[in-house]
Amino acid sequence: MRFGGGEVRPSQEPVRAHGMADFVSGISIVCFAASYAVALACEASRPVFRSGLRGAAMIAFVAAGFVAHTLFLVWRGVSESTAPLSSPFDWYLLAAWLLAAGSLWLTLANPRTPVGLFLLPVVLALVGAATLASRAPFLQSPASRVWGRIHGSFNLAASVSVAVGAAAGLMWLIQAGRLARKQPPPRGFRMPSLERLAHLTHRSLAIAAWTAAAGFVSGIVLNAVNRRHGLLETVPWNDPVVLRMGAVVVWLIAADALAHAARRRPDGGRVTAWLSLASLAVLTGSILWGLLGRSQHGVPQPPPAPPAASEAAP
Amino acid sequence: MTLALVGGTHRTVPLDLRERLAFSADQAAEALARFRGRFPGREGVLLSTCNRVEFYAAGERDAAPAEDEILAFLAECRGLDAGLLSPVLARHRDDAVARHLFSVASGLDSMVLGEPQILAQVKQAWALAQESRTAGPLTGEMFQAALRTAKRVATETALGRERVSIPSVAVADFAAGVFERFDDKRVLLVGAGKMAAETLRYLREAGARDVTVVNRTAGRAVELAARLGARPGRFDELAAELAAADLVVSTTGASAPVVPLELFAGVEASRGGRPLVVLDLAVPRDFDPRIGGRPGVWLYSIDDLGAACDANRERRRGELPAAQAIVDEETRRFMGDLHHRSTAPVIERLKAGWSETGESELDRLFRRLPQLGEAERGEIRQAFERYAAKLLHPPLASLRSESRSGPPHGLLDALKRLFDLE
Repeated sequence: MRFGGGEVRPSQEPVRAHGMADFVSGISIVCFAASYAVALACEASRPVFRSGLRGAAMIAFVAAGFVAHTLFLVWRGVSESTAPLSSPFDWYLLAAWLLAAGSLWLTLANPRTPVGLFLLPVVLALVGAATLASRAPFLQSPASRVWGRIHGSFNLAASVSVAVGAAAGLMWLIQAGRLARKQPPPRGFRMPSLERLAHLTHRSLAIAAWTAAAGFVSGIVLNAVNRRHGLLETVPWNDPVVLRMGAVVVWLIAADALAHAARRRPDGGRVTAWLSLASLAVLTGSILWGLLGRSQHGVPQPPPAPPAASEAAP
Repeated sequence: MTLALVGGTHRTVPLDLRERLAFSADQAAEALARFRGRFPGREGVLLSTCNRVEFYAAGERDAAPAEDEILAFLAECRGLDAGLLSPVLARHRDDAVARHLFSVASGLDSMVLGEPQILAQVKQAWALAQESRTAGPLTGEMFQAALRTAKRVATETALGRERVSIPSVAVADFAAGVFERFDDKRVLLVGAGKMAAETLRYLREAGARDVTVVNRTAGRAVELAARLGARPGRFDELAAELAAADLVVSTTGASAPVVPLELFAGVEASRGGRPLVVLDLAVPRDFDPRIGGRPGVWLYSIDDLGAACDANRERRRGELPAAQAIVDEETRRFMGDLHHRSTAPVIERLKAGWSETGESELDRLFRRLPQLGEAERGEIRQAFERYAAKLLHPPLASLRSESRSGPPHGLLDALKRLFDLE
């Protein structure tokens, strides 16, 4: 959709709309990635610059990046008529957007806790993955669209939960290390309590496990629907996507079970923290495998071959 | 317009002399009443705490009493020999007085750097001076500026943010690092050491409700529990209490560990994996140090907490330059305002002279031009006033500017001579 154009403009409104459209369409991935990167640098400089200006600048850059990120996704949806989860590119950007929103909210709610230091690297990694991912939309029939969205949404929720859980797990290990070394909290780096972090880690791991499982099951249903309507190639069981997603689901369910079993052990918090970090490693490996490998996942079915002359002949 | 200060602190006055020099609230009120009679028209504020005795004096029209007069007055009030006080009491005048008060109010001169209680004591001293009618505009402005300085130091530096007492560090930096909340935790006090009550005060502030006290002497446990609003427990059931506790504060005077590793190992399984924070504030230690190596146990001895306090004190010292810069800035600002204030009589006379001349000229003009209506007369009058204000602006601006670096005596003399203001 384009606003204005070369026509004579009868009033100021189309001019403003045209200018706004130009502004929004000019937002690129670099704009918000750079904002997030500067915000991360501000966050990392906490021990060096303890001025309130540093905190304000950090929040301003995350907020600016988040607004630009939002406008980019909205503009993409409007100008290219793409739904938020319609391609691998959009999927990664939406995951990054959710984590950026979480980072901004948590920073505003807990200004003394360096949340951004743990979440913004994941946001930047997901934005980086988006630039490598395909922008071609997954082909969907009306029948498979609903299942496609369910499948994508569950996988998105699982990935975001894994990232949040890993950030909380890493904070748990850092806080536990500080308490074990019997040192006072470093200035500007006050972590949440172990109790709160353990709760968050455990809950994130559980949500990740069950949403990943739901995503996998909905993927199977989607595959069956596609097969019935003949829109896409059926994804075979030995397809890399099926294998890697299956491995992630199995790992997450096992990790959640282990974390649950460790809850009544004195070192349960540490076990859960390491499991959450391992889950992020497994998910990252799976994403890299997906970015670099070949798959039938979301690939359109080739048009049927024209009948041979002898067959076509009556 | 002068300021004077005579006083001594824990750094300069030995404890036995400080005790004799200290004023109770009644004695301070009596001393201020005596000051009012002895030095009429002068302002005085007496700040007396366990670590300092300081008398701030000011004079607006008459100069503040000389420092030696104040010293003799203090000695007389407390029945001491002035010769005994003379070598240990510091004397300050004018900007040094303001700088010292601002440092004191900000906690920069305290025994524990950055401690906030002194600010309340400064406020109390000022309130007592007001009640005793020895406070005045000069000391009023100085004490207001001191409160502003203290607020700036507290908000713009991290001087007061680091905790430096063992109970506060134990609760805020360590126990609160493990537990998010304390209202659902079980606290066990073992023994009745002097730090138990103080630590419990911080735990109560953090929300702790369920507190059990055990002591070798059952009667002492009951008495302590009643005093602290806690539940008495039995010392012979210490193992069961340990199994149920989330946080233990131990302050017994026992010569051997009250909780050896074997005792703890026996209850570990029944704890259900819950973390345990142990604040072992006893010397010698009540908990076998090996217990700190058990998973889920966070054991802190008094030495661990003392080291954390030292680290925090060091951090506070790191904030000192920033705090002193604020004190210097506020002192310059206050003294600039004070010096400018001393120019007020000359400015008033100058303005009055110009106004008088202007009025007589306007009267002459209006008599010669009787046809002028009220509106025209008003316009002409306003033009005269604007003209006078514009002519006065440069000398007044110069006076204000000069006041920032000290009393503008040279400019004032010049104005007096140029405009015949004597």
